Amino acid sequence: MKPLHPQAIDRLLANTEPWLSCDDCFEQIDVAVEDALGSTASLTETVRVHLAACPVCHEEAQSLAALVAGDYGLTPLEAASRLDAAVLGRRP
Amino acid sequence: MSDAAELPVEEHVPQSLRAAGALPRDDWVIRLSMTGRVREEAVARLHDLMLRAARHQVGRMPEGIRLGAARREEVVHSAADEATVSVISRLSTFEGRSRFTTWAYKFGVIHTLVEVRRAAWSGREIPLRGIEELSETPTSSPEAHAEGRDLAQAVREGMLEVLTPHQRRVAVAVLVDEIPIDVLAERLGTTRSALYKTLHDARKRLRAHLSAQGYLPAATATEVGR
Repeated sequence: MKPLHPQAIDRLLANTEPWLSCDDCFEQIDVAVEDALGSTASLTETVRVHLAACPVCHEEAQSLAALVAGDYGLTPLEAASRLDAAVLGRRP
Repeated sequence: MSDAAELPVEEHVPQSLRAAGALPRDDWVIRLSMTGRVREEAVARLHDLMLRAARHQVGRMPEGIRLGAARREEVVHSAADEATVSVISRLSTFEGRSRFTTWAYKFGVIHTLVEVRRAAWSGREIPLRGIEELSETPTSSPEAHAEGRDLAQAVREGMLEVLTPHQRRVAVAVLVDEIPIDVLAERLGTTRSALYKTLHDARKRLRAHLSAQGYLPAATATEVGR
């Protein structure tokens, strides 16, 4: 049995406004990843909030960023950290 | 990486697509929309892209590594086949807002992710338990223990008071037990988006309840991921 540990409490209490469905996130994820890896280095607020709260969509975005990293002169690791910085709302 | 393969496209482009301004920026769409050899070669190249995405995704997942070489290769090919079909069937929805390869890769990634998880969770029971079955919160110091226990208790009580039984079961499965949302959706015969909406509504109710009780500072209740 898993305890109700602090990380689980954080996940339970995460604010997922503004709302975005997983389907809509998938529709936008290619543009979002290119935005995060490109010159804007940011995400729309709806996509950012969704990726912060949905581990499965976040994994898809991370994987896509790593796949196209070379197009931006980045290593897969660099692409992953740039995406995470955008999810956290930070500029690289 | 170049999006365009070295295929002689010009003479095969249908008249309708050759009209001024009608040529899409990306040759992939043209080639995949044609007939005959050019299309066949474009589909084969697309399938290669999907294989690349599938191998990449399998390699990122511990569940993928644990499948074993033979099963892993089956999953890679099955996911690449499905992704190729998805890309072709949704070609008309490609708006050119990203590179074609980035747009196409996302289908390879998602089909592989779903296939690997399906294989990894096949035959495994997913218990949907209630909040009352959760054990005590482990913390280090006595102060942190008391504080964490208070919040954990308030969260437990809030879940019992303001969430529906369905919201509670989904919240415990996905947010506490960390069962992947796509795996749970498949078991429950629903969609990932529907379950995410259930979680969204549950979180909203729970936050409102805990804010009213003074457990949530305003910043915690309004920001995610910052």
